[in-house]
Amino acid sequence: MDAAKIRQDFPALQKSKAIYFDNACTTLKPKQVIEAQRIYYEELAGCAGRSSHSIAKKTTERFEESRRKVAKFIGCLENEVVWTKNATEALNLAVRSFDYSKRRKIVTTRLEHHSLLLPIMEMRRKEGLEIGFLPLGADGALDEEKAADAIDSKTALVAIHCATNTTGLRCPVEKIAKIAHERGAAVLVDGAQAVPHFKIDFRKMGADFLAFSGHKMLGPTGIGCLIGKADALENLETFLVGGETVEQVDIERAVFLPPPKKFEAGIQNYAGAIGMAAACEYLAKIGMENVERHEQRLAERLLEAIASVPGSTLYGAKTHKGRCALASFNIKSIKPHQVALMCDSLSGIALRSGVFCAQPAMSLLGAPQGAVRASLYIYNTEEEIGIFGETLEKISKIA
Amino acid sequence: MLCFVALFVFGALSVFSAKYRPLAARAFDCAARKITLRPCQTGLDDEIRAASIAGIMRISPPAAAFANRHFEALSVIFTLIFFASMIVALQGIANFAVYGNCNGPEGGFCIYSGLQNPAFLKTPKTSEGIVAGNLSSGITVVEFGCYICPYTKEAEEGVQRLLENYASRVAFVYKPFPLAAHKNSFEAAIAASCAGEEGKYWEYRKMLFANQSWFAQEGERAFKQAARKLNLTGFDRCYDERLVENKINATLQEGKECGIYGTPTFFVNGKAFVGQRAAEEAEAEIRRLLAEGRA
Ligand SMILES: Cc1ncc(COP(=O)(O)O)c(C=O)c1O
Repeated sequence: MDAAKIRQDFPALQKSKAIYFDNACTTLKPKQVIEAQRIYYEELAGCAGRSSHSIAKKTTERFEESRRKVAKFIGCLENEVVWTKNATEALNLAVRSFDYSKRRKIVTTRLEHHSLLLPIMEMRRKEGLEIGFLPLGADGALDEEKAADAIDSKTALVAIHCATNTTGLRCPVEKIAKIAHERGAAVLVDGAQAVPHFKIDFRKMGADFLAFSGHKMLGPTGIGCLIGKADALENLETFLVGGETVEQVDIERAVFLPPPKKFEAGIQNYAGAIGMAAACEYLAKIGMENVERHEQRLAERLLEAIASVPGSTLYGAKTHKGRCALASFNIKSIKPHQVALMCDSLSGIALRSGVFCAQPAMSLLGAPQGAVRASLYIYNTEEEIGIFGETLEKISKIA
Repeated sequence: MLCFVALFVFGALSVFSAKYRPLAARAFDCAARKITLRPCQTGLDDEIRAASIAGIMRISPPAAAFANRHFEALSVIFTLIFFASMIVALQGIANFAVYGNCNGPEGGFCIYSGLQNPAFLKTPKTSEGIVAGNLSSGITVVEFGCYICPYTKEAEEGVQRLLENYASRVAFVYKPFPLAAHKNSFEAAIAASCAGEEGKYWEYRKMLFANQSWFAQEGERAFKQAARKLNLTGFDRCYDERLVENKINATLQEGKECGIYGTPTFFVNGKAFVGQRAAEEAEAEIRRLLAEGRA
């Protein structure tokens, strides 16, 4: 895999010399994705499903074709892909529409992103559900032995990340899914930070639901997916309802369509879906195992660069294995915002600082006041990490 | 701390330009809340700090380290200096409005003088004032002056030379423009005009400039004493009853309408020259006009 060649596909990298290390927030877009969206607006621009003129037919075709492409990329069936606005909406859909009539407990971890944690906490507040937490080590690693104890016969749903946005470390979801299923609980996986970086196969993972966003994997903003096993989707209650979600309506009763249409209310983000499919194709062409290998190498260099800065603290496990090219750290007592802003000002490096919308996670990891995060992707290079390291070195001298 | 300065600066700027309003709002937020933990958003103070330390680092890393370690203390000092200089600047503006100079009646270097530009002055329209030279010539020189002003005094030598050399080729009008900043300046204008009533204007003028500070100090006594030297019989009555006050007020008013901001100010056929060297500049302009064949 050749990062230099890949960079040429990204107009944003051609236009600016910036070092973009904020990929966990959102990634840049290759011209193939931008072009796919343009085609919708310039050549299709109709609505799918409802109208029957030729423009609408073409839109329907492209829209459903996009669904097939995403399904192929992630290893599921076509009707197991529900379009959503983003991972957050997908997580809300799964958590809030799940059937808790028999079991009234959700098990999760303290490392979750607010987008998963808050829907769960809302279910506790509104429905009186119980929350259980899987035991974690101080470095955020899951204690697999004890995990089994936390998932009991009251547990309806185990909702867990596949990779965190705070440490970039992968969690053994396959094992957790196996345990959960043995205890009769369903499994929801937040794949927002994993699907873009690892080779993920929905079937092999063994989860019932998987949520992710297009914009974190080279796709457009405003589009995401909830992947669900056909029967699991069948058992979800309605979420957003409206146009396109129903078979027929009389004033006494509405008959809803089967999934995924049941959950796709109103005119959909056609351009987004087409763009997201283009992003999946782009990544598939590079090969997700190559993406993984590239990121492993970058992760190793990234950890070395941070470790060599005097007074630096890395959060989470210190290994580059099973980690996407992401690291959160602090330098001495310098405020994380200051480090990030100075990296930008001195070397044009785009970093994120704060608690990364995962406040309990950052507290657990020992950085309640926040940290600096560097998150890299396919177009980042070891040379960029070199500049990053030098800049941190300089900044470390001011405290 | 810096948020307060930022609030002040951006607040003032946002009055003039909408561009600064969001920054002013952030500064207000920052100054009002003063919260320490901002998990999901960077504060304006963080941004200011990072930008300034990064800026210093480009010049000198050790200086950046120093500034960062003592950032709080330095920003307190900076804030105090900021508000102190703000007060001095406002005082200067107030002085400038009243005395035409930011240092008040004492005068001296004033930065706001840069705001004043002879090009913005309006040409006087009347020939009100003390008239000399050739009134039918094509070149008119007007001087707005103040007998007690040191700069008008400095320019006087040039005025005399000008009158000597070009009396037959230019018309000269002197318009008294007593500056309130100078003590007894209005009285001096009255005295000179009273002397003019008896045909002794230029002699009296010479005496005024020759002993400027004495006249400024002594006032009436000095004016009357000088008049006696010139045997002016109607002077005391003219001076006491201020018989020529209207004339002085007329040229003063005219000068204000023209936008005069300092004396002496010369106009040569409408082109203005201000300050100590104005007489020489006016003379050069006369020479230029004459060479062009305008006379
Ligand atoms: C682990 C994780 N989950 C969920 C999300 C939410 O993604 P989105 O904002 O695209 O809905 C993010 C993105 O920040 C994330 O990193």
